[in-house]
Amino acid sequence: MSVHKYTDKVMDHFRNPRNVGEIEDADGIGKVGNPVCGDLMWIYIKVGKNDKGEEIIDDIKFKTFGCGSAVSTSSMITEMAKGMTLDEAYKITRSDVADELDGLPPIKMHCSNLAADALQAAIDNYRTGATPEVEIVTSCQLDTRIVLGLTEFLGKGVYKQIDDINEFKDKRILVVDTGDKSLELAIELTSITGRVILVTSAKSIPGTVELRKKLKVSEVKILQESELIEIKGELDEVEKVVIHDYDEDENYELFVDTVIILD
Amino acid sequence: MTTYLDYQSAKPVDERVLKEMLPYFNEKFGNPSSLHLYGYNATNTLEEARKKIADFINAPSPDNIIFTSGATESNNLAIIGAAMRRKNQGNHIIISEIEHISIHNIGKYLERQGFKVSRVGVDRFGRINLNKLERLITDQTIIISISIASNEIGTLQPVKEIAEIAQKHKIWFHSDAVASQCSVPIDVQDVPYDLLTLSSNEIYGPRGVGALYLKKGVRVNPVLIGGGQERGMRSGSENMPGIVGFAKAAEIMKAEMSEESARLKELRDKLIQGILTIPKSYLNGHPEERTPHNTNFRFDYIEGESLLLALRDEDIQVATGSACSSKTLEPSHTLISCGLLHEEAHGSLLLTLGRFTEEKDIDKIIEALPGVIKRLRKLSPLTPAKFLEQIKEEEK
Repeated sequence: MSVHKYTDKVMDHFRNPRNVGEIEDADGIGKVGNPVCGDLMWIYIKVGKNDKGEEIIDDIKFKTFGCGSAVSTSSMITEMAKGMTLDEAYKITRSDVADELDGLPPIKMHCSNLAADALQAAIDNYRTGATPEVEIVTSCQLDTRIVLGLTEFLGKGVYKQIDDINEFKDKRILVVDTGDKSLELAIELTSITGRVILVTSAKSIPGTVELRKKLKVSEVKILQESELIEIKGELDEVEKVVIHDYDEDENYELFVDTVIILD
Repeated sequence: MTTYLDYQSAKPVDERVLKEMLPYFNEKFGNPSSLHLYGYNATNTLEEARKKIADFINAPSPDNIIFTSGATESNNLAIIGAAMRRKNQGNHIIISEIEHISIHNIGKYLERQGFKVSRVGVDRFGRINLNKLERLITDQTIIISISIASNEIGTLQPVKEIAEIAQKHKIWFHSDAVASQCSVPIDVQDVPYDLLTLSSNEIYGPRGVGALYLKKGVRVNPVLIGGGQERGMRSGSENMPGIVGFAKAAEIMKAEMSEESARLKELRDKLIQGILTIPKSYLNGHPEERTPHNTNFRFDYIEGESLLLALRDEDIQVATGSACSSKTLEPSHTLISCGLLHEEAHGSLLLTLGRFTEEKDIDKIIEALPGVIKRLRKLSPLTPAKFLEQIKEEEK
């Protein structure tokens, strides 16, 4: 869909988004993502009461990763919902948001869908009284898991030990988090290639305090809450891996040359 | 003046080209198929134009050139036409993972027609794996189609080595030259292509016209059936104003390319250097083996279409590999094949330079981009808190 099809209102909200940010002591947080286009939207609400004693949205803020209409719809829904009762706000639909913006290109309708979902998730989060944090299933340990293709490609792109890191110059390397040694290796590998990806089931950056600091400033790309489930290739060469993302509960493929799973 | 940095998707027609074309719309309107004076003159013009296109790629003879309606048609004629012609010799075709969508979709079409299509992978810079290419070859392989360069990341392929491998196995080698023909010289006697796709607009000629080069002895089955023009391989009355413009554009490009490429390369390197000073910014594609007019970046925590829109507000016109600005909502398959994650591919910024790009355009984007990126990063939930603090600190 061509960009110039956006209405003036969409562009206005994109240029000057309203209510951007976080609410530190939020009563409800809604975090939603769209795996199709990769958009991500977080909505924070603060709940108060009106004259009639009904619960209303006192304050609302958002953060969004996405295209022009993803930003605009988040901004618009915060404007619409502010001051509404929770019941009213819960009923805002994606077409309501799109209508307020004088319409969206058809292919972008899912973005407004996301904004309404995020607001509902925030209200749900408040109502159920759960801690405003998305619960993630913790992964099982590597030694109890089966990685498809592991034995097939062992020594042909999959390695359990490394003798000379220079053999991996400019390769796209996936390192599986099997403890501090693997984290150190991942950092070391960034000196010979620009593409080191660390896959870990941890919710945050793994390792000792010192390692964590090093990892944070390193060029290692970290896939948190994820696990390697399959190694794929053709003619005895690793070509890609399948990663399972617990947070999104989905699998996706990643092109790599080398997989390192230290014993 | 607005700054235009999307030369890979469309180029303006050069004034000199336009001037050359105009008489062929009315005054010199003849059809080369006619035998009277108008037809005779048109035939001469057509053959002169063919000679100029042949010269542009150092083809031994004008007979090697067939005019088409553009690169998409040339790709169809080359791959589908060759597959149909050689189907008794085999049913296997090899392309790369990072081919242009027009070639990917031809691959899918041929699979539905019963052909087998292999897609050879690339490294993190987008260069194809030659060793793998050779190992994918079977006694059924009839065509290898790999572009000279990627239209998105500008990475140049080792075409000479690919051509040698193809020759050794008696396989036809087709290449789409569209993404490189405006800044990288082509010599079909140095690299023995069997088939080569050329576009007119890519060298500042009009759209709606292109060409297919066929090595001597190579023939393809037509995909358009009709009056038998272009040695029976491409029917339809010739688009004379377009062909004349294309030929003029090729003539100018041949004369000016070495100077123009050197200038573009200098601007490109300045642009790369300037943009990579932004924290958490990266260059996609190969650092050296890339077309002189192409740059492709990505920025952590930012989505490409947002970036495109924000730059449009700064009067800078750019392109992105983001899914949000595509018809399918899938991120760029080229960037994914290079090993990027979806979120990284979503954040790519494609800046392509051309004949009318000036140093002040480069200065303008280098100046505008850091502020735009900061603003979008402050908006993004992916920006880590610590990094956000740094940004806010810098602003004070």
